[in-house]
Amino acid sequence: MTRLRRLRAEFTAERRSFLRRRTAVFFTFVFPLLVVLIFGVLVQTDGGGVGLFARPPAFYVPGYLAVVVLFTPLSRVGSTVARHRDGARFEKLATTPLRRWEWLLAHAVVNAAVIGLAALLLFVLTLLLTGVAAAPAPALLLLVPLVALATVLFCGVGCVVGRVAGSQDGVIAASNALALPLLFLSETFVAADQLPAWFRPAVGLSPLTYFARGVRALVGSGDPAVGVALTNLAVVAALAVVAVAAGAAAVPRTD
Amino acid sequence: MDTDVTATPAVEAVDVSRRYGDVVALDGVSLSVAPGAVFGLVGPNGAGKTTLVRALTGTTDATGEVRLFGDPLPAVDRARLGLLPQSFSPADRLTARELVDYYAGLYDPRRARDVDAVLAEVGLADDTAVRYENLSGGQRRRVCVATALVNDPDLLFLDEPTAGVDPAGRRSLHGLVARLADEGTTVFLTSHSMDEVETLADRVGLVRDGSLVAVGPPDGLVAEHGGHARVLVETASDAVADPPALGLDGFDVERTTEGFVVTDVGAADLPDVVESVVAAEVSPDAVTWARPGLEEAYFRLTGEAFADAEAERR
Repeated sequence: MTRLRRLRAEFTAERRSFLRRRTAVFFTFVFPLLVVLIFGVLVQTDGGGVGLFARPPAFYVPGYLAVVVLFTPLSRVGSTVARHRDGARFEKLATTPLRRWEWLLAHAVVNAAVIGLAALLLFVLTLLLTGVAAAPAPALLLLVPLVALATVLFCGVGCVVGRVAGSQDGVIAASNALALPLLFLSETFVAADQLPAWFRPAVGLSPLTYFARGVRALVGSGDPAVGVALTNLAVVAALAVVAVAAGAAAVPRTD
Repeated sequence: MDTDVTATPAVEAVDVSRRYGDVVALDGVSLSVAPGAVFGLVGPNGAGKTTLVRALTGTTDATGEVRLFGDPLPAVDRARLGLLPQSFSPADRLTARELVDYYAGLYDPRRARDVDAVLAEVGLADDTAVRYENLSGGQRRRVCVATALVNDPDLLFLDEPTAGVDPAGRRSLHGLVARLADEGTTVFLTSHSMDEVETLADRVGLVRDGSLVAVGPPDGLVAEHGGHARVLVETASDAVADPPALGLDGFDVERTTEGFVVTDVGAADLPDVVESVVAAEVSPDAVTWARPGLEEAYFRLTGEAFADAEAERR
């Protein structure tokens, strides 16, 4: 009961802080939309060709969703950690009953809710603007836990980035340095067979790969491959648990 | 070491040290604070006050032993503590009420106080709906104080609570600390204002370069280390050039740029000194009798004027 009260207090404060940062909200929704407009509408994808963007439009849906699932939690949670540290907020929280994992969980839930909305908007726009045909099927609901768990996963990673980086500027630089390679080397926009053979095993090391595979199994051509989606969902869930544990341990307690 | 404690101390520190690389921020500090007491830690900026608060609250990795209410730090019930960090800066897009409500939500409802009552207590009853980012510096600090009071703490750490607060707000916070102490809250207060701790604290610790140079009641420290009262005479009279002509036999007289100072003047001596000054036709512009304070005690203990120590560390 008291724990729920603490989680609710932290969730409410973070929700208000997030939604009142207009630039953060704006870019959470608009940045991925720009990606869809640029690559899905202007550049356009063309199944059967060679090189980048030569696959059918549905191939790139995981990439579009990955933009919002990856960048916002990394930079948002990372900079929140830096801001909390600069303002001695962790110093104060260390003398309250709030646990570090409770703090991270509350922030992850806020991010999952906001990013879930952004992902839904993005998905609908992708269907409308890029010609992807996704038949309404109950299996599509698996996208919800996939997006939510991947967001939580990258919130945990963002917490570690925030701990390691010395400042808010450092967090932005570090999260971009981490996110950009992940975005393009995780079977999102670039298929594994387009990469050098020696590099392909490394693709499996990226958590985003399992998110992309899970989404593609549900939104690719043909009927949803529920088994494949569930397998990748399980991997994302397991990685989310590890990331939250690492992130909670990284939440600063001392100066 | 302060050992004048009969009950289980609210705060007990033994040989607490903290280094940052080659810099010794705390050097073997030992102290004890009785339950219900107000302990004031005073020293110039950079003396180690904040590091000591962090060591006592477990928010820095210090060596030595710290016990709160008799328990080692990891076992302390955190709901009994209140902390106002020195450089605390809470979420700036929340209103004063939302901020205090947030911190109240971190405690058991039986422990959490009414948010509006706490805000009224720090003088912000009319500004509860104003966002933190839109409050003045003094109002912000008062919101921060409120966040430390919201769980009705048994032990309250206030690190520079009146920094940036205007005189009226400072008086209000002084009254609040006094009231909390009357109600049994133990208060551990840091300040670089000698007057503030002298007014508020039952016991004072003077800190310099990470070490406690003296601990005791303010009056006791002043009596033991502050020297005697003195009379300050401001005048342009030439008579000052010849102190014996002043007829102040038995007193030490020192010239100053504004006039002269007669040292070691007790209350009983005051009429004689004033009479002599008038008889010498010095034509004083002002005569002031000043008791020594903690600042004089600090000077005599460290050989360093407090104001100079402050300036040196800025």
